[in-house]
Amino acid sequence: MSWSTLLLMAAVVFISRYLFLEPRLPLRLGPKILHFLHYTGPAALTAIWAPIVFHREGELNLAINNPYFIAAIIAAILAVTTRNVLLTTVLSMALFFMTRYLLTATG
Amino acid sequence: MSQNTEPDKASFSATRVFLRGVILTLPLSIAVIPWGILAGSLAVEAGLIDFQAQAVSAIIFAGSVQLVGMGLIKAGASLTTLLLTTLFLTSRHLLYSATMRSRISHMPIHRRLLLGFLLTDELFAVCSHQTRKEFNFWFAFGAGFSFYLIWQMATLGGILLGKSIPNLDQYGLDFAVAATFIAIVLPTIKKLSVLITVVIALVFSVIFSVLNIEGGIIYSSLIAMSCGYAVSIIRKEAL
Repeated sequence: MSWSTLLLMAAVVFISRYLFLEPRLPLRLGPKILHFLHYTGPAALTAIWAPIVFHREGELNLAINNPYFIAAIIAAILAVTTRNVLLTTVLSMALFFMTRYLLTATG
Repeated sequence: MSQNTEPDKASFSATRVFLRGVILTLPLSIAVIPWGILAGSLAVEAGLIDFQAQAVSAIIFAGSVQLVGMGLIKAGASLTTLLLTTLFLTSRHLLYSATMRSRISHMPIHRRLLLGFLLTDELFAVCSHQTRKEFNFWFAFGAGFSFYLIWQMATLGGILLGKSIPNLDQYGLDFAVAATFIAIVLPTIKKLSVLITVVIALVFSVIFSVLNIEGGIIYSSLIAMSCGYAVSIIRKEAL
Protein backbone atom coordinates (compact mmCIF):
# COMPACT_ATOMS: atom_id res chain seq x y z
CA MET A 1 0.00 0.00 0.00
CA SER A 2 1.48 3.33 -1.03
CA TRP A 3 1.43 6.35 1.25
CA SER A 4 -0.47 8.36 -1.37
CA THR A 5 -3.25 5.73 -1.38
CA LEU A 6 -3.42 5.89 2.39
CA LEU A 7 -3.58 9.70 2.40
CA LEU A 8 -6.26 9.75 -0.32
CA MET A 9 -8.44 7.33 1.67
CA ALA A 10 -7.91 9.45 4.78
CA ALA A 11 -8.88 12.60 2.86
CA VAL A 12 -12.14 11.02 1.66
CA VAL A 13 -13.01 10.00 5.23
CA PHE A 14 -12.06 13.36 6.74
CA ILE A 15 -13.94 15.44 4.17
CA SER A 16 -17.13 13.44 4.71
CA ARG A 17 -16.84 14.00 8.47
CA TYR A 18 -15.95 17.68 8.29
CA LEU A 19 -17.92 19.01 5.30
CA PHE A 20 -21.09 20.21 7.08
CA LEU A 21 -19.18 21.46 10.11
CA GLU A 22 -17.71 24.20 7.91
CA PRO A 23 -19.68 27.43 8.48
CA ARG A 24 -18.64 28.89 5.12
CA LEU A 25 -20.49 26.10 3.36
CA PRO A 26 -23.47 28.06 2.01
CA LEU A 27 -26.23 25.99 3.52
CA ARG A 28 -28.98 26.61 6.03
CA LEU A 29 -30.62 23.56 7.57
CA GLY A 30 -34.33 24.33 7.94
CA PRO A 31 -36.65 22.74 10.54
CA LYS A 32 -37.77 19.99 8.13
CA ILE A 33 -34.19 18.93 7.40
CA LEU A 34 -33.34 19.04 11.13
CA HIS A 35 -36.39 16.89 11.88
CA PHE A 36 -35.28 14.42 9.20
CA LEU A 37 -31.72 14.35 10.61
CA HIS A 38 -33.21 13.54 14.03
CA TYR A 39 -33.50 9.94 12.72
CA THR A 40 -29.83 9.64 11.72
CA GLY A 41 -28.79 7.96 14.98
CA PRO A 42 -31.32 5.10 15.14
CA ALA A 43 -31.15 4.53 11.36
CA ALA A 44 -27.38 4.52 10.80
CA LEU A 45 -26.43 2.67 13.97
CA THR A 46 -29.04 -0.04 13.26
CA ALA A 47 -27.83 -0.32 9.65
CA ILE A 48 -24.40 -1.10 11.11
CA TRP A 49 -25.37 -3.68 13.72
CA ALA A 50 -28.15 -5.57 11.89
CA PRO A 51 -25.96 -7.11 9.13
CA ILE A 52 -23.38 -8.18 11.73
CA VAL A 53 -26.13 -10.21 13.42
CA PHE A 54 -28.17 -11.55 10.49
CA HIS A 55 -25.72 -11.77 7.60
CA ARG A 56 -23.41 -14.58 8.59
CA GLU A 57 -20.86 -16.34 6.39
CA GLY A 58 -22.25 -14.89 3.20
CA GLU A 59 -25.90 -15.69 3.77
CA LEU A 60 -29.01 -14.61 5.64
CA ASN A 61 -29.14 -16.39 8.98
CA LEU A 62 -32.42 -16.07 10.87
CA ALA A 63 -31.98 -19.45 12.57
CA ILE A 64 -32.33 -19.59 16.32
CA ASN A 65 -29.02 -21.48 16.55
CA ASN A 66 -27.20 -18.42 15.20
CA PRO A 67 -25.23 -17.30 18.27
CA TYR A 68 -25.23 -13.69 16.99
CA PHE A 69 -29.04 -13.77 16.89
CA ILE A 70 -29.41 -15.31 20.37
CA ALA A 71 -26.95 -12.86 21.93
CA ALA A 72 -28.52 -9.91 20.09
CA ILE A 73 -31.93 -10.75 21.56
CA ILE A 74 -30.37 -10.86 25.03
CA ALA A 75 -28.56 -7.58 24.34
CA ALA A 76 -31.85 -6.00 23.27
CA ILE A 77 -33.59 -7.13 26.45
CA LEU A 78 -30.69 -5.96 28.62
CA ALA A 79 -30.49 -2.63 26.78
CA VAL A 80 -34.14 -1.84 27.36
CA THR A 81 -34.24 -3.04 30.98
CA THR A 82 -30.87 -1.77 32.29
CA ARG A 83 -30.23 1.18 29.92
CA ASN A 84 -26.57 0.61 30.72
CA VAL A 85 -24.35 0.33 27.66
CA LEU A 86 -21.35 -1.25 29.38
CA LEU A 87 -23.37 -3.84 31.30
CA THR A 88 -25.37 -4.75 28.19
CA THR A 89 -22.24 -5.12 26.09
CA VAL A 90 -20.25 -7.17 28.60
CA LEU A 91 -23.09 -9.55 29.52
CA SER A 92 -24.24 -10.18 25.96
CA MET A 93 -20.63 -10.69 24.81
CA ALA A 94 -20.10 -13.27 27.55
CA LEU A 95 -23.32 -15.02 26.55
CA PHE A 96 -22.33 -14.83 22.90
CA PHE A 97 -19.02 -16.61 23.42
CA MET A 98 -20.66 -19.19 25.68
CA THR A 99 -23.37 -19.93 23.10
CA ARG A 100 -20.80 -20.18 20.34
CA TYR A 101 -18.71 -22.55 22.38
CA LEU A 102 -21.70 -24.75 23.28
CA LEU A 103 -22.99 -24.84 19.69
CA THR A 104 -19.54 -25.85 18.43
CA ALA A 105 -19.06 -28.42 21.17
CA THR A 106 -22.40 -30.11 20.50
CA GLY A 107 -21.83 -29.91 16.77
CA MET B 1 -26.64 10.52 31.24
CA SER B 2 -29.55 10.60 33.69
CA GLN B 3 -27.26 12.16 36.31
CA ASN B 4 -26.87 15.20 34.11
CA THR B 5 -29.37 17.42 35.96
CA GLU B 6 -28.67 20.71 34.23
CA PRO B 7 -25.49 21.68 36.09
CA ASP B 8 -24.20 25.20 35.75
CA LYS B 9 -21.90 24.55 32.81
CA ALA B 10 -19.66 27.53 33.60
CA SER B 11 -18.79 26.08 37.01
CA PHE B 12 -17.38 22.93 35.42
CA SER B 13 -13.70 23.08 34.62
CA ALA B 14 -12.72 21.91 31.16
CA THR B 15 -10.91 18.96 32.73
CA ARG B 16 -14.00 17.71 34.51
CA VAL B 17 -16.14 17.91 31.41
CA PHE B 18 -13.35 16.24 29.42
CA LEU B 19 -13.24 13.38 31.91
CA ARG B 20 -17.01 13.03 31.78
CA GLY B 21 -16.68 12.54 28.03
CA VAL B 22 -13.96 9.94 28.55
CA ILE B 23 -16.04 8.02 31.10
CA LEU B 24 -19.29 8.07 29.16
CA THR B 25 -17.45 6.74 26.10
CA LEU B 26 -15.59 4.07 28.05
CA PRO B 27 -18.12 1.30 27.31
CA LEU B 28 -17.75 2.00 23.60
CA SER B 29 -13.98 2.27 23.85
CA ILE B 30 -13.79 -1.10 25.58
CA ALA B 31 -16.18 -2.66 23.09
CA VAL B 32 -14.11 -1.42 20.16
CA ILE B 33 -10.87 -3.06 21.34
CA PRO B 34 -11.50 -6.40 19.54
CA TRP B 35 -12.48 -4.43 16.43
CA GLY B 36 -9.20 -2.46 16.60
CA ILE B 37 -7.21 -5.65 17.08
CA LEU B 38 -8.94 -6.98 13.97
CA ALA B 39 -8.05 -3.81 12.01
CA GLY B 40 -4.40 -4.13 13.02
CA SER B 41 -4.10 -7.82 12.23
CA LEU B 42 -5.90 -7.45 8.87
CA ALA B 43 -3.53 -4.65 7.88
CA VAL B 44 -0.60 -6.96 8.57
CA GLU B 45 -2.34 -9.78 6.67
CA ALA B 46 -2.83 -7.37 3.75
CA GLY B 47 0.96 -7.05 3.59
CA LEU B 48 1.50 -3.65 5.20
CA ILE B 49 4.64 -3.07 7.23
CA ASP B 50 3.98 -2.52 10.95
CA PHE B 51 4.53 1.24 10.90
CA GLN B 52 2.17 1.69 7.98
CA ALA B 53 -0.43 -0.60 9.53
CA GLN B 54 -0.41 1.68 12.60
CA ALA B 55 -0.54 4.78 10.38
CA VAL B 56 -3.73 3.47 8.74
CA SER B 57 -5.45 3.66 12.13
CA ALA B 58 -3.76 6.93 13.08
CA ILE B 59 -4.64 8.79 9.88
CA ILE B 60 -7.80 7.15 8.50
CA PHE B 61 -9.35 6.29 11.89
CA ALA B 62 -12.45 4.54 10.47
CA GLY B 63 -13.11 0.91 11.33
CA SER B 64 -15.26 -0.20 8.41
CA VAL B 65 -13.13 1.64 5.83
CA GLN B 66 -9.99 0.06 7.27
CA LEU B 67 -11.38 -3.48 7.41
CA VAL B 68 -12.93 -3.45 3.94
CA GLY B 69 -10.01 -1.43 2.55
CA MET B 70 -7.43 -3.94 3.78
CA GLY B 71 -9.46 -6.75 2.19
CA LEU B 72 -9.48 -4.86 -1.12
CA ILE B 73 -5.75 -4.14 -0.94
CA LYS B 74 -5.05 -7.80 -0.21
CA ALA B 75 -7.17 -8.69 -3.27
CA GLY B 76 -5.22 -6.20 -5.39
CA ALA B 77 -8.10 -3.80 -6.13
CA SER B 78 -7.47 -0.65 -8.17
CA LEU B 79 -7.13 2.80 -6.58
CA THR B 80 -10.46 3.87 -8.09
CA THR B 81 -12.28 0.90 -6.56
CA LEU B 82 -10.59 1.57 -3.24
CA LEU B 83 -11.55 5.25 -3.17
CA LEU B 84 -15.13 4.70 -4.38
CA THR B 85 -15.63 2.01 -1.77
CA THR B 86 -14.18 4.34 0.86
CA LEU B 87 -16.60 7.05 -0.25
CA PHE B 88 -19.59 4.71 -0.02
CA LEU B 89 -18.58 3.32 3.36
CA THR B 90 -17.84 6.73 4.80
CA SER B 91 -20.82 8.56 3.30
CA ARG B 92 -22.85 8.08 6.49
CA HIS B 93 -20.44 10.52 8.14
CA LEU B 94 -21.95 13.20 5.90
CA LEU B 95 -25.19 12.61 7.77
CA TYR B 96 -23.42 12.82 11.14
CA SER B 97 -21.70 16.01 10.10
CA ALA B 98 -24.99 17.54 8.91
CA THR B 99 -26.68 16.47 12.16
CA MET B 100 -23.88 18.05 14.23
CA ARG B 101 -23.67 21.23 12.13
CA SER B 102 -25.80 23.34 14.47
CA ARG B 103 -23.67 22.29 17.45
CA ILE B 104 -20.15 22.54 15.98
CA SER B 105 -20.06 24.95 13.02
CA HIS B 106 -19.87 28.10 15.19
CA MET B 107 -16.71 26.87 16.98
CA PRO B 108 -13.20 28.15 16.15
CA ILE B 109 -11.52 26.35 13.25
CA HIS B 110 -9.11 24.21 15.29
CA ARG B 111 -11.99 22.82 17.36
CA ARG B 112 -14.08 22.16 14.26
CA LEU B 113 -11.22 20.35 12.55
CA LEU B 114 -10.49 18.31 15.65
CA LEU B 115 -14.10 17.22 16.24
CA GLY B 116 -14.52 16.60 12.52
CA PHE B 117 -11.50 14.30 12.50
CA LEU B 118 -12.80 12.48 15.58
CA LEU B 119 -16.42 12.17 14.35
CA THR B 120 -16.79 8.39 14.32
CA ASP B 121 -19.96 6.33 14.68
CA GLU B 122 -19.15 6.13 18.39
CA LEU B 123 -18.60 9.84 18.99
CA PHE B 124 -21.78 10.54 17.08
CA ALA B 125 -23.64 7.92 19.14
CA VAL B 126 -22.51 9.51 22.42
CA CYS B 127 -23.31 13.08 21.34
CA SER B 128 -26.33 12.57 19.10
CA HIS B 129 -28.89 12.82 21.90
CA GLN B 130 -27.47 15.94 23.47
CA THR B 131 -29.29 19.18 22.88
CA ARG B 132 -27.48 22.18 21.48
CA LYS B 133 -27.18 23.54 25.03
CA GLU B 134 -25.88 20.30 26.54
CA PHE B 135 -23.27 19.85 23.84
CA ASN B 136 -19.80 20.88 24.98
CA PHE B 137 -16.48 20.89 23.14
CA TRP B 138 -14.51 19.40 26.01
CA PHE B 139 -17.04 16.62 26.51
CA ALA B 140 -16.92 15.69 22.81
CA PHE B 141 -13.14 16.02 22.72
CA GLY B 142 -12.79 13.78 25.80
CA ALA B 143 -15.08 11.21 24.20
CA GLY B 144 -13.46 11.35 20.76
CA PHE B 145 -9.82 11.60 21.83
CA SER B 146 -9.95 8.79 24.40
CA PHE B 147 -11.66 6.64 21.78
CA TYR B 148 -8.89 7.55 19.32
CA LEU B 149 -6.13 6.58 21.76
CA ILE B 150 -7.76 3.22 22.53
CA TRP B 151 -8.21 2.58 18.82
CA GLN B 152 -4.45 3.17 18.34
CA MET B 153 -3.53 0.84 21.20
CA ALA B 154 -5.93 -1.86 20.02
CA THR B 155 -4.48 -1.59 16.51
CA LEU B 156 -0.97 -1.98 17.92
CA GLY B 157 -2.18 -5.06 19.80
CA GLY B 158 -3.60 -6.46 16.56
CA ILE B 159 -0.34 -5.78 14.69
CA LEU B 160 1.63 -7.64 17.35
CA LEU B 161 -0.94 -10.47 17.74
CA GLY B 162 -1.86 -10.70 14.07
CA LYS B 163 1.24 -12.59 13.17
CA SER B 164 0.89 -15.25 15.84
CA ILE B 165 -2.92 -15.60 15.68
CA PRO B 166 -3.88 -15.90 12.01
CA ASN B 167 -7.51 -15.39 10.96
CA LEU B 168 -8.36 -13.33 13.98
CA ASP B 169 -11.56 -12.41 12.11
CA GLN B 170 -12.92 -15.93 12.59
CA TYR B 171 -13.46 -15.57 16.35
CA GLY B 172 -16.68 -13.54 16.42
CA LEU B 173 -15.13 -10.36 17.80
CA ASP B 174 -17.48 -8.33 15.60
CA PHE B 175 -20.31 -9.07 17.99
CA ALA B 176 -18.92 -6.37 20.31
CA VAL B 177 -19.97 -3.68 17.84
CA ALA B 178 -23.45 -5.14 17.43
CA ALA B 179 -23.90 -5.38 21.21
CA THR B 180 -22.78 -1.79 21.79
CA PHE B 181 -24.95 -0.27 19.09
CA ILE B 182 -27.97 -2.28 20.21
CA ALA B 183 -27.31 -0.93 23.72
CA ILE B 184 -27.24 2.65 22.39
CA VAL B 185 -30.12 2.50 19.93
CA LEU B 186 -32.84 0.49 21.66
CA PRO B 187 -33.31 2.77 24.71
CA THR B 188 -33.87 5.72 22.32
CA ILE B 189 -37.03 4.09 20.91
CA LYS B 190 -39.71 6.12 22.62
CA LYS B 191 -41.86 7.05 19.64
CA LEU B 192 -43.46 5.02 16.86
CA SER B 193 -41.52 6.97 14.23
CA VAL B 194 -38.22 5.94 15.81
CA LEU B 195 -39.36 2.31 16.09
CA ILE B 196 -40.31 2.32 12.39
CA THR B 197 -36.92 3.86 11.56
CA VAL B 198 -35.10 1.08 13.41
CA VAL B 199 -37.19 -1.74 11.89
CA ILE B 200 -36.83 -0.40 8.32
CA ALA B 201 -33.08 0.17 8.80
CA LEU B 202 -32.74 -3.38 10.09
CA VAL B 203 -34.63 -4.99 7.20
CA PHE B 204 -33.03 -2.97 4.42
CA SER B 205 -29.46 -3.07 5.78
CA VAL B 206 -29.66 -6.86 6.01
CA ILE B 207 -31.15 -7.18 2.50
CA PHE B 208 -28.50 -4.87 1.01
CA SER B 209 -25.76 -6.68 2.89
CA VAL B 210 -26.94 -10.11 1.68
CA LEU B 211 -27.16 -8.77 -1.88
CA ASN B 212 -23.61 -7.40 -1.47
CA ILE B 213 -24.72 -3.87 -2.34
CA GLU B 214 -21.88 -1.43 -1.80
CA GLY B 215 -22.92 1.49 0.41
CA GLY B 216 -25.84 -0.45 1.90
CA ILE B 217 -25.50 1.37 5.23
CA ILE B 218 -26.14 4.80 3.72
CA TYR B 219 -28.98 3.60 1.44
CA SER B 220 -30.79 1.77 4.23
CA SER B 221 -30.23 4.72 6.60
CA LEU B 222 -31.79 7.17 4.15
CA ILE B 223 -34.76 4.88 3.45
CA ALA B 224 -35.32 4.34 7.18
CA MET B 225 -34.98 8.05 8.00
CA SER B 226 -37.50 8.91 5.27
CA CYS B 227 -39.98 6.36 6.65
CA GLY B 228 -39.49 7.62 10.23
CA TYR B 229 -39.92 11.20 9.07
CA ALA B 230 -43.07 10.34 7.10
CA VAL B 231 -44.60 8.50 10.06
CA SER B 232 -43.92 11.41 12.41
CA ILE B 233 -45.55 13.84 9.97
CA ILE B 234 -48.61 11.61 9.47
CA ARG B 235 -49.01 11.08 13.22
CA LYS B 236 -48.14 14.72 13.97
CA GLU B 237 -45.59 13.56 16.56
CA ALA B 238 -43.84 16.26 18.52
CA LEU B 239 -40.06 16.21 18.13
